[in-house]
Amino acid sequence: MMTRLKVYADRMSQPSRAVLLFCRLNRLDFHEIKVDISKRQQLSPEFKEINPMEKVPAIVHGNFNLFESHAILIYLATAFPGIADHWYPADIHRRAKIHSVLDWHHSNLRHGALTYVVNTVLAPALGRPLNPQAAAEAEKVLLSSLSKLENIWLKGDGAFLLGGFQPSIADLSMVCELMQLEVLGEKDRSRILTPYKKVLQWIEDTRTATNPHFDEVHNILFKVKRKFQEQRLREANSGPEPNNMGGSSKM
Amino acid sequence: MSLKVYADRTAQPSRAVLIFCKVNGIKFEEITVELAKQQQFSPEYKAINPLKKLPAIVDGGFKLSECHAILIYLASAFPGVPDHWYPTDLQRRAKINSVLSWHHLNLRHGGAPFVLNTALAPVMGLPLNPKAAAEAEKILSRSLATLEKVWLNGNGPFLLGSFQPSIADLSLVCEIMQLELVDKKIKDRLLGPHKKVQRWIESTRNATNPHFDEVHSFLIEVKAKIGVLTALPSKM
Repeated sequence: MMTRLKVYADRMSQPSRAVLLFCRLNRLDFHEIKVDISKRQQLSPEFKEINPMEKVPAIVHGNFNLFESHAILIYLATAFPGIADHWYPADIHRRAKIHSVLDWHHSNLRHGALTYVVNTVLAPALGRPLNPQAAAEAEKVLLSSLSKLENIWLKGDGAFLLGGFQPSIADLSMVCELMQLEVLGEKDRSRILTPYKKVLQWIEDTRTATNPHFDEVHNILFKVKRKFQEQRLREANSGPEPNNMGGSSKM
Repeated sequence: MSLKVYADRTAQPSRAVLIFCKVNGIKFEEITVELAKQQQFSPEYKAINPLKKLPAIVDGGFKLSECHAILIYLASAFPGVPDHWYPTDLQRRAKINSVLSWHHLNLRHGGAPFVLNTALAPVMGLPLNPKAAAEAEKILSRSLATLEKVWLNGNGPFLLGSFQPSIADLSLVCEIMQLELVDKKIKDRLLGPHKKVQRWIESTRNATNPHFDEVHSFLIEVKAKIGVLTALPSKM
Protein backbone atom coordinates (compact mmCIF):
# COMPACT_ATOMS: atom_id res chain seq x y z
CA MET A 1 0.00 0.00 0.00
CA MET A 2 1.36 3.41 -0.99
CA THR A 3 2.26 5.66 1.91
CA ARG A 4 0.40 8.95 2.16
CA LEU A 5 1.22 11.59 -0.46
CA LYS A 6 3.52 14.30 0.89
CA VAL A 7 3.42 17.78 -0.64
CA TYR A 8 6.36 20.05 0.16
CA ALA A 9 5.20 23.61 -0.29
CA ASP A 10 5.44 27.24 0.71
CA ARG A 11 2.10 29.01 0.31
CA MET A 12 3.93 32.19 -0.72
CA SER A 13 5.02 30.28 -3.83
CA GLN A 14 2.55 30.41 -6.69
CA PRO A 15 3.22 26.90 -8.04
CA SER A 16 2.97 25.52 -4.47
CA ARG A 17 -0.51 27.00 -4.16
CA ALA A 18 -1.65 25.49 -7.47
CA VAL A 19 -0.64 22.01 -6.31
CA LEU A 20 -2.20 22.40 -2.84
CA LEU A 21 -5.40 23.74 -4.37
CA PHE A 22 -5.62 20.79 -6.75
CA CYS A 23 -5.13 18.33 -3.90
CA ARG A 24 -7.80 20.01 -1.76
CA LEU A 25 -10.34 20.31 -4.57
CA ASN A 26 -9.98 16.64 -5.39
CA ARG A 27 -9.91 15.56 -1.72
CA LEU A 28 -6.61 13.75 -2.10
CA ASP A 29 -5.27 12.22 1.05
CA PHE A 30 -2.05 14.15 1.58
CA HIS A 31 0.24 15.66 4.14
CA GLU A 32 1.34 19.26 3.59
CA ILE A 33 4.91 19.93 4.72
CA LYS A 34 5.93 23.57 4.90
CA VAL A 35 9.30 24.54 3.41
CA ASP A 36 9.75 28.20 4.38
CA ILE A 37 11.58 30.00 1.58
CA SER A 38 11.98 33.18 3.63
CA LYS A 39 14.02 31.07 6.09
CA ARG A 40 15.94 29.34 3.20
CA GLN A 41 14.60 25.94 4.27
CA GLN A 42 14.69 24.80 0.65
CA LEU A 43 18.49 24.81 0.94
CA SER A 44 18.58 22.33 3.83
CA PRO A 45 20.28 18.94 3.27
CA GLU A 46 16.99 17.23 4.20
CA PHE A 47 15.06 19.01 1.50
CA LYS A 48 17.87 18.57 -1.02
CA GLU A 49 17.24 14.81 -0.66
CA ILE A 50 13.63 15.41 -1.68
CA ASN A 51 14.49 17.81 -4.52
CA PRO A 52 18.11 18.33 -5.62
CA MET A 53 16.98 21.51 -7.39
CA GLU A 54 16.07 23.04 -4.00
CA LYS A 55 12.71 24.35 -5.21
CA VAL A 56 9.12 24.06 -4.13
CA PRO A 57 6.71 22.48 -4.72
CA ALA A 58 7.87 18.87 -4.63
CA ILE A 59 5.97 15.68 -3.86
CA VAL A 60 6.84 12.28 -2.48
CA HIS A 61 4.42 9.48 -3.32
CA GLY A 62 5.63 6.20 -1.84
CA ASN A 63 9.25 6.08 -3.02
CA PHE A 64 8.57 8.36 -5.98
CA ASN A 65 9.85 11.94 -5.83
CA LEU A 66 8.75 14.62 -8.27
CA PHE A 67 9.26 18.35 -8.73
CA GLU A 68 8.11 21.02 -11.25
CA SER A 69 4.50 22.00 -10.60
CA HIS A 70 3.12 21.21 -14.08
CA ALA A 71 4.62 17.71 -13.98
CA ILE A 72 3.16 17.29 -10.47
CA LEU A 73 -0.31 18.46 -11.51
CA ILE A 74 -0.35 16.12 -14.51
CA TYR A 75 0.86 13.21 -12.37
CA LEU A 76 -1.75 13.79 -9.66
CA ALA A 77 -4.53 14.17 -12.24
CA THR A 78 -3.65 10.82 -13.79
CA ALA A 79 -2.33 8.72 -10.88
CA PHE A 80 -5.24 9.22 -8.50
CA PRO A 81 -8.65 7.69 -9.20
CA GLY A 82 -11.85 9.70 -9.50
CA ILE A 83 -10.35 13.00 -10.70
CA ALA A 84 -12.90 14.81 -12.90
CA ASP A 85 -11.88 14.82 -16.57
CA HIS A 86 -11.96 18.62 -16.99
CA TRP A 87 -8.81 19.02 -14.88
CA TYR A 88 -6.70 17.17 -17.46
CA PRO A 89 -8.91 15.80 -20.26
CA ALA A 90 -8.29 12.38 -21.70
CA ASP A 91 -9.19 13.72 -25.16
CA ILE A 92 -5.89 13.99 -26.98
CA HIS A 93 -6.69 17.30 -28.70
CA ARG A 94 -7.97 19.09 -25.61
CA ARG A 95 -5.04 17.73 -23.63
CA ALA A 96 -2.60 19.00 -26.29
CA LYS A 97 -4.04 22.51 -26.04
CA ILE A 98 -3.58 22.43 -22.26
CA HIS A 99 0.05 21.36 -22.73
CA SER A 100 0.44 24.26 -25.14
CA VAL A 101 -0.65 26.91 -22.61
CA LEU A 102 1.30 25.18 -19.78
CA ASP A 103 4.44 25.39 -21.97
CA TRP A 104 3.80 29.01 -22.91
CA HIS A 105 3.37 29.96 -19.26
CA HIS A 106 7.00 29.51 -18.13
CA SER A 107 8.76 32.11 -20.30
CA ASN A 108 5.78 34.40 -20.40
CA LEU A 109 3.39 34.87 -17.50
CA ARG A 110 5.58 33.19 -14.89
CA HIS A 111 8.80 34.86 -15.96
CA GLY A 112 7.15 38.28 -16.20
CA ALA A 113 5.00 38.16 -13.07
CA LEU A 114 7.56 36.49 -10.79
CA THR A 115 10.45 38.78 -11.77
CA TYR A 116 8.26 41.88 -11.52
CA VAL A 117 6.83 41.09 -8.07
CA VAL A 118 10.20 40.01 -6.63
CA ASN A 119 11.98 43.12 -7.89
CA THR A 120 9.33 45.61 -6.82
CA VAL A 121 8.27 44.14 -3.47
CA LEU A 122 9.38 40.69 -2.32
CA ALA A 123 13.15 40.63 -2.81
CA PRO A 124 14.05 41.97 0.69
CA ALA A 125 12.00 39.18 2.30
CA LEU A 126 14.18 36.74 0.33
CA GLY A 127 17.39 38.49 1.39
CA ARG A 128 17.98 40.18 -1.96
CA PRO A 129 18.00 43.77 -3.14
CA LEU A 130 15.19 45.19 -5.27
CA ASN A 131 16.20 45.61 -8.92
CA PRO A 132 14.21 48.32 -10.70
CA GLN A 133 15.82 47.59 -14.07
CA ALA A 134 14.90 43.92 -13.91
CA ALA A 135 11.42 45.00 -12.80
CA ALA A 136 11.05 47.30 -15.82
CA GLU A 137 12.06 44.52 -18.24
CA ALA A 138 9.82 42.02 -16.47
CA GLU A 139 6.89 44.41 -16.66
CA LYS A 140 7.11 44.38 -20.47
CA VAL A 141 6.97 40.57 -20.45
CA LEU A 142 4.10 40.61 -17.95
CA LEU A 143 2.02 43.07 -19.96
CA SER A 144 2.66 41.17 -23.18
CA SER A 145 1.57 37.96 -21.44
CA LEU A 146 -1.61 39.56 -20.09
CA SER A 147 -2.40 40.77 -23.59
CA LYS A 148 -1.98 37.25 -24.98
CA LEU A 149 -4.17 35.81 -22.24
CA GLU A 150 -6.84 38.43 -22.99
CA ASN A 151 -6.76 38.07 -26.77
CA ILE A 152 -5.70 34.50 -27.43
CA TRP A 153 -5.84 32.08 -24.52
CA LEU A 154 -9.18 33.34 -23.15
CA LYS A 155 -10.87 33.37 -26.56
CA GLY A 156 -13.90 31.09 -26.77
CA ASP A 157 -17.28 30.46 -25.26
CA GLY A 158 -16.39 29.30 -21.78
CA ALA A 159 -15.06 31.26 -18.82
CA PHE A 160 -11.75 29.39 -18.63
CA LEU A 161 -8.58 29.03 -20.70
CA LEU A 162 -8.99 27.66 -24.22
CA GLY A 163 -12.72 28.41 -24.09
CA GLY A 164 -13.27 25.74 -21.45
CA PHE A 165 -16.52 25.68 -19.46
CA GLN A 166 -14.73 24.15 -16.49
CA PRO A 167 -11.27 24.84 -15.11
CA SER A 168 -8.22 22.73 -15.93
CA ILE A 169 -4.83 22.44 -14.22
CA ALA A 170 -3.70 25.28 -16.50
CA ASP A 171 -6.28 27.65 -14.99
CA LEU A 172 -5.07 26.77 -11.48
CA SER A 173 -1.43 27.28 -12.40
CA MET A 174 -1.91 30.61 -14.12
CA VAL A 175 -4.45 32.15 -11.75
CA CYS A 176 -2.24 31.29 -8.76
CA GLU A 177 0.57 33.08 -10.60
CA LEU A 178 -1.54 36.20 -11.10
CA MET A 179 -2.67 36.21 -7.47
CA GLN A 180 0.93 37.05 -6.52
CA LEU A 181 0.22 40.55 -7.87
CA GLU A 182 -1.93 41.06 -4.74
CA VAL A 183 1.21 42.07 -2.82
CA LEU A 184 1.82 45.04 -5.10
CA GLY A 185 0.60 48.50 -4.17
CA GLU A 186 -3.05 48.94 -5.14
CA LYS A 187 -2.26 51.63 -7.72
CA ASP A 188 0.41 49.47 -9.33
CA ARG A 189 -1.76 46.36 -9.42
CA SER A 190 -4.70 48.32 -10.83
CA ARG A 191 -2.55 49.93 -13.50
CA ILE A 192 -1.31 46.55 -14.64
CA LEU A 193 -4.54 44.54 -14.54
CA THR A 194 -7.40 46.96 -15.23
CA PRO A 195 -7.05 47.00 -19.03
CA TYR A 196 -7.57 43.24 -19.13
CA LYS A 197 -11.28 42.69 -18.48
CA LYS A 198 -11.41 39.05 -19.53
CA VAL A 199 -8.39 38.25 -17.37
CA LEU A 200 -10.01 39.88 -14.33
CA GLN A 201 -13.26 38.00 -14.94
CA TRP A 202 -11.36 34.73 -15.36
CA ILE A 203 -9.53 35.18 -12.06
CA GLU A 204 -12.90 35.72 -10.35
CA ASP A 205 -14.49 32.73 -12.13
CA THR A 206 -11.60 30.46 -11.15
CA ARG A 207 -11.84 31.64 -7.57
CA THR A 208 -15.61 31.01 -7.52
CA ALA A 209 -15.20 27.57 -9.07
CA THR A 210 -12.59 26.53 -6.50
CA ASN A 211 -13.75 28.19 -3.28
CA PRO A 212 -13.57 27.83 -0.31
CA HIS A 213 -10.24 26.14 -0.98
CA PHE A 214 -8.95 29.00 -3.16
CA ASP A 215 -9.33 31.59 -0.42
CA GLU A 216 -7.98 29.21 2.22
CA VAL A 217 -4.83 28.42 0.22
CA HIS A 218 -4.32 32.14 -0.48
CA ASN A 219 -4.84 33.13 3.16
CA ILE A 220 -1.16 33.75 3.85
CA LEU A 221 -0.83 35.84 0.69
CA PHE A 222 -3.70 38.08 1.85
CA LYS A 223 -1.99 38.44 5.25
CA VAL A 224 1.29 39.43 3.57
CA LYS A 225 -0.65 41.87 1.36
CA ARG A 226 -2.14 43.54 4.45
CA LYS A 227 1.29 43.82 6.08
CA PHE A 228 2.73 45.49 2.99
CA GLN A 229 -0.28 47.85 2.81
CA GLU A 230 0.22 48.85 6.47
CA GLN A 231 3.92 49.37 5.87
CA ARG A 232 3.25 51.58 2.84
CA LEU A 233 0.74 53.60 4.84
CA ARG A 234 3.25 54.14 7.66
CA GLU A 235 5.94 55.15 5.15
CA ALA A 236 3.53 57.56 3.45
CA ASN A 237 2.82 59.16 6.82
CA SER A 238 6.31 59.23 8.27
CA GLY A 239 8.93 58.48 5.61
CA PRO A 240 10.59 55.15 4.63
CA GLU A 241 11.33 52.62 7.34
CA PRO A 242 13.81 49.71 7.30
CA ASN A 243 12.23 46.66 5.75
CA ASN A 244 11.22 44.27 8.52
CA MET A 245 9.61 41.66 6.32
CA GLY A 246 12.76 39.55 5.94
CA GLY A 247 12.57 36.13 7.51
CA SER A 248 9.52 37.06 9.53
CA SER A 249 8.26 33.98 11.28
CA LYS A 250 4.95 35.67 11.90
CA MET A 251 4.05 35.15 8.22
CA MET B 1 -0.78 14.59 -46.52
CA SER B 2 -2.77 15.71 -43.55
CA LEU B 3 0.07 16.73 -41.17
CA LYS B 4 1.79 20.05 -41.86
CA VAL B 5 4.79 21.19 -39.83
CA TYR B 6 5.59 24.91 -39.93
CA ALA B 7 9.28 25.26 -39.10
CA ASP B 8 12.54 27.09 -39.56
CA ARG B 9 15.57 24.81 -39.26
CA THR B 10 17.52 27.72 -37.77
CA ALA B 11 15.38 27.29 -34.64
CA GLN B 12 16.00 24.61 -32.03
CA PRO B 13 12.38 23.63 -31.25
CA SER B 14 11.59 23.38 -34.99
CA ARG B 15 14.44 20.92 -35.44
CA ALA B 16 13.26 18.74 -32.54
CA VAL B 17 9.81 18.33 -34.13
CA LEU B 18 11.21 17.62 -37.61
CA ILE B 19 13.66 15.01 -36.31
CA PHE B 20 10.92 13.33 -34.27
CA CYS B 21 8.66 13.01 -37.30
CA LYS B 22 11.44 11.65 -39.50
CA VAL B 23 12.76 9.16 -36.95
CA ASN B 24 9.25 7.78 -36.43
CA GLY B 25 8.31 7.66 -40.10
CA ILE B 26 5.46 10.13 -39.60
CA LYS B 27 4.43 11.46 -43.01
CA PHE B 28 4.30 15.23 -43.07
CA GLU B 29 4.73 18.30 -45.22
CA GLU B 30 7.45 20.68 -44.03
CA ILE B 31 6.54 24.32 -44.61
CA THR B 32 9.39 26.75 -44.04
CA VAL B 33 8.54 30.01 -42.27
CA GLU B 34 11.70 32.11 -42.46
CA LEU B 35 12.43 33.92 -39.21
CA ALA B 36 15.17 36.00 -40.87
CA LYS B 37 12.54 37.38 -43.25
CA GLN B 38 10.01 37.92 -40.42
CA GLN B 39 7.58 35.54 -42.11
CA GLN B 40 6.16 34.53 -38.74
CA PHE B 41 4.45 37.93 -38.67
CA SER B 42 2.57 37.43 -41.95
CA PRO B 43 -1.25 37.36 -41.82
CA GLU B 44 -1.15 33.84 -43.30
CA TYR B 45 1.03 32.51 -40.51
CA LYS B 46 -0.87 34.44 -37.85
CA ALA B 47 -3.93 32.42 -38.92
CA ILE B 48 -1.97 29.23 -38.18
CA ASN B 49 -0.49 30.47 -34.88
CA PRO B 50 -1.68 33.78 -33.41
CA LEU B 51 1.34 33.68 -31.08
CA LYS B 52 3.51 34.10 -34.21
CA LYS B 53 6.08 31.56 -33.06
CA LEU B 54 7.58 28.40 -34.49
CA PRO B 55 7.07 25.51 -34.67
CA ALA B 56 3.38 24.91 -35.23
CA ILE B 57 1.51 21.99 -36.71
CA VAL B 58 -1.80 21.53 -38.46
CA ASP B 59 -3.12 17.96 -38.35
CA GLY B 60 -6.30 17.72 -40.36
CA GLY B 61 -8.10 20.74 -38.94
CA PHE B 62 -6.26 20.67 -35.60
CA LYS B 63 -3.76 23.47 -34.96
CA LEU B 64 -1.14 23.27 -32.24
CA SER B 65 1.84 25.35 -31.14
CA GLU B 66 4.61 25.01 -28.51
CA CYS B 67 7.21 22.36 -29.26
CA HIS B 68 6.76 20.16 -26.16
CA ALA B 69 2.98 20.08 -26.61
CA ILE B 70 3.55 19.14 -30.27
CA LEU B 71 6.04 16.37 -29.42
CA ILE B 72 3.67 14.88 -26.83
CA TYR B 73 0.75 15.07 -29.28
CA LEU B 74 2.70 13.38 -32.09
CA ALA B 75 3.98 10.65 -29.74
CA SER B 76 0.40 9.92 -28.63
CA ALA B 77 -1.62 10.48 -31.82
CA PHE B 78 0.45 8.54 -34.32
CA PRO B 79 0.47 4.73 -34.18
CA GLY B 80 3.70 2.81 -33.97
CA VAL B 81 5.71 5.43 -32.05
CA PRO B 82 7.84 3.43 -29.59
CA ASP B 83 6.98 3.88 -25.93
CA HIS B 84 10.40 5.25 -24.92
CA TRP B 85 9.70 8.59 -26.59
CA TYR B 86 6.91 9.42 -24.11
CA PRO B 87 6.28 6.39 -21.86
CA THR B 88 2.78 5.41 -20.80
CA ASP B 89 4.15 4.54 -17.35
CA LEU B 90 2.91 7.47 -15.26
CA GLN B 91 6.03 7.87 -13.14
CA ARG B 92 8.48 7.73 -16.03
CA ARG B 93 6.24 10.13 -17.93
CA ALA B 94 6.13 12.46 -14.93
CA LYS B 95 9.93 12.60 -14.77
CA ILE B 96 10.06 13.48 -18.46
CA ASN B 97 7.43 16.20 -17.90
CA SER B 98 9.61 17.46 -15.07
CA VAL B 99 12.70 18.00 -17.25
CA LEU B 100 10.56 19.42 -20.10
CA SER B 101 9.20 22.00 -17.60
CA TRP B 102 12.65 22.81 -16.21
CA HIS B 103 14.00 23.40 -19.71
CA HIS B 104 12.03 26.59 -20.47
CA LEU B 105 13.50 28.87 -17.80
CA ASN B 106 16.86 27.14 -17.66
CA LEU B 107 18.59 25.65 -20.69
CA ARG B 108 16.41 27.47 -23.22
CA HIS B 109 16.32 30.70 -21.25
CA GLY B 110 20.14 30.74 -21.21
CA GLY B 111 21.00 29.03 -24.47
CA ALA B 112 18.76 30.86 -26.92
CA PRO B 113 19.62 34.49 -25.96
CA PHE B 114 23.29 33.54 -25.57
CA VAL B 115 23.58 32.29 -29.14
CA LEU B 116 21.36 35.07 -30.50
CA ASN B 117 23.37 37.83 -28.86
CA THR B 118 26.80 36.29 -29.51
CA ALA B 119 26.34 35.27 -33.14
CA LEU B 120 22.92 34.83 -34.70
CA ALA B 121 21.36 38.29 -34.33
CA PRO B 122 22.72 39.82 -37.59
CA VAL B 123 21.05 37.02 -39.59
CA MET B 124 17.75 38.02 -37.95
CA GLY B 125 18.38 41.69 -38.72
CA LEU B 126 19.03 42.42 -35.03
CA PRO B 127 22.05 43.92 -33.26
CA LEU B 128 24.30 41.76 -31.12
CA ASN B 129 23.93 42.51 -27.40
CA PRO B 130 27.06 41.54 -25.43
CA LYS B 131 25.46 42.48 -22.10
CA ALA B 132 22.46 40.22 -22.72
CA ALA B 133 24.85 37.51 -23.93
CA ALA B 134 26.86 37.71 -20.70
CA GLU B 135 23.73 37.38 -18.53
CA ALA B 136 22.42 34.52 -20.66
CA GLU B 137 25.78 32.76 -20.42
CA LYS B 138 25.47 32.57 -16.63
CA ILE B 139 22.09 30.84 -16.94
CA LEU B 140 23.39 28.57 -19.69
CA SER B 141 26.46 27.53 -17.66
CA ARG B 142 24.34 26.78 -14.61
CA SER B 143 21.94 24.74 -16.73
CA LEU B 144 24.75 22.69 -18.28
CA ALA B 145 26.09 21.99 -14.79
CA THR B 146 22.62 20.89 -13.64
CA LEU B 147 22.32 18.57 -16.63
CA GLU B 148 25.72 17.06 -15.79
CA LYS B 149 25.04 16.64 -12.07
CA VAL B 150 21.30 15.96 -11.85
CA TRP B 151 19.47 15.16 -15.07
CA LEU B 152 22.14 12.83 -16.47
CA ASN B 153 22.50 10.87 -13.22
CA GLY B 154 21.82 7.19 -13.69
CA ASN B 155 22.92 4.14 -15.59
CA GLY B 156 21.85 4.97 -19.12
CA PRO B 157 23.29 7.64 -21.44
CA PHE B 158 20.05 9.61 -21.76
CA LEU B 159 18.22 12.01 -19.45
CA LEU B 160 16.91 10.52 -16.21
CA GLY B 161 19.33 7.61 -16.56
CA SER B 162 17.37 6.09 -19.42
CA PHE B 163 18.73 3.62 -21.93
CA GLN B 164 16.66 5.06 -24.75
CA PRO B 165 15.92 8.64 -25.78
CA SER B 166 12.69 10.44 -24.99
CA ILE B 167 11.21 13.64 -26.45
CA ALA B 168 13.07 15.49 -23.68
CA ASP B 169 16.45 14.33 -25.01
CA LEU B 170 15.52 15.51 -28.49
CA SER B 171 14.28 18.91 -27.32
CA LEU B 172 17.24 19.66 -25.06
CA VAL B 173 19.97 18.36 -27.38
CA CYS B 174 18.58 20.44 -30.26
CA GLU B 175 18.85 23.44 -27.95
CA ILE B 176 22.51 22.74 -27.20
CA MET B 177 23.26 22.16 -30.90
CA GLN B 178 22.56 25.87 -31.42
CA LEU B 179 26.04 26.40 -29.94
CA GLU B 180 27.38 25.22 -33.32
CA LEU B 181 26.70 28.78 -34.46
CA VAL B 182 29.15 30.39 -32.03
CA ASP B 183 32.94 30.37 -32.22
CA LYS B 184 34.31 26.86 -31.59
CA LYS B 185 36.52 28.17 -28.78
CA ILE B 186 33.46 29.49 -26.93
CA LYS B 187 31.52 26.28 -27.49
CA ASP B 188 34.43 24.16 -26.22
CA ARG B 189 34.81 26.38 -23.17
CA LEU B 190 31.13 25.95 -22.28
CA LEU B 191 30.82 22.24 -22.98
CA GLY B 192 34.37 21.13 -22.13
CA PRO B 193 33.86 20.62 -18.37
CA HIS B 194 30.77 18.46 -18.91
CA LYS B 195 31.75 14.96 -20.05
CA LYS B 196 28.32 13.38 -19.50
CA VAL B 197 26.66 16.17 -21.48
CA GLN B 198 29.05 15.62 -24.39
CA ARG B 199 28.44 11.85 -24.37
CA TRP B 200 24.69 12.45 -24.18
CA ILE B 201 24.71 14.71 -27.24
CA GLU B 202 26.60 12.03 -29.16
CA SER B 203 24.24 9.27 -27.95
CA THR B 204 21.18 11.25 -28.98
CA ARG B 205 22.70 11.97 -32.34
CA ASN B 206 23.52 8.28 -32.90
CA ALA B 207 20.05 7.20 -31.83
CA THR B 208 18.37 9.52 -34.33
CA ASN B 209 20.75 9.54 -37.31
CA PRO B 210 20.76 10.04 -40.24
CA HIS B 211 17.87 12.41 -39.56
CA PHE B 212 19.68 14.33 -36.79
CA ASP B 213 22.60 15.23 -39.07
CA GLU B 214 20.33 15.93 -42.03
CA VAL B 215 18.16 18.39 -40.10
CA HIS B 216 21.19 20.02 -38.46
CA SER B 217 23.11 20.40 -41.72
CA PHE B 218 21.16 23.64 -42.17
CA LEU B 219 23.24 25.20 -39.39
CA ILE B 220 26.28 25.02 -41.66
CA GLU B 221 24.47 27.36 -44.07
CA VAL B 222 23.48 29.67 -41.20
CA LYS B 223 27.04 29.76 -39.88
CA ALA B 224 28.29 30.71 -43.34
CA LYS B 225 25.75 33.55 -43.47
CA ILE B 226 26.98 34.76 -40.05
CA GLY B 227 30.54 34.73 -41.41
CA VAL B 228 29.54 36.84 -44.42
CA LEU B 229 27.58 39.35 -42.34
CA THR B 230 30.27 39.81 -39.71
CA ALA B 231 32.96 40.24 -42.42
CA LEU B 232 31.10 43.16 -43.97
CA PRO B 233 32.45 46.70 -43.35
CA SER B 234 30.94 48.27 -40.25
CA LYS B 235 28.82 50.83 -42.10
CA MET B 236 25.91 48.37 -41.38
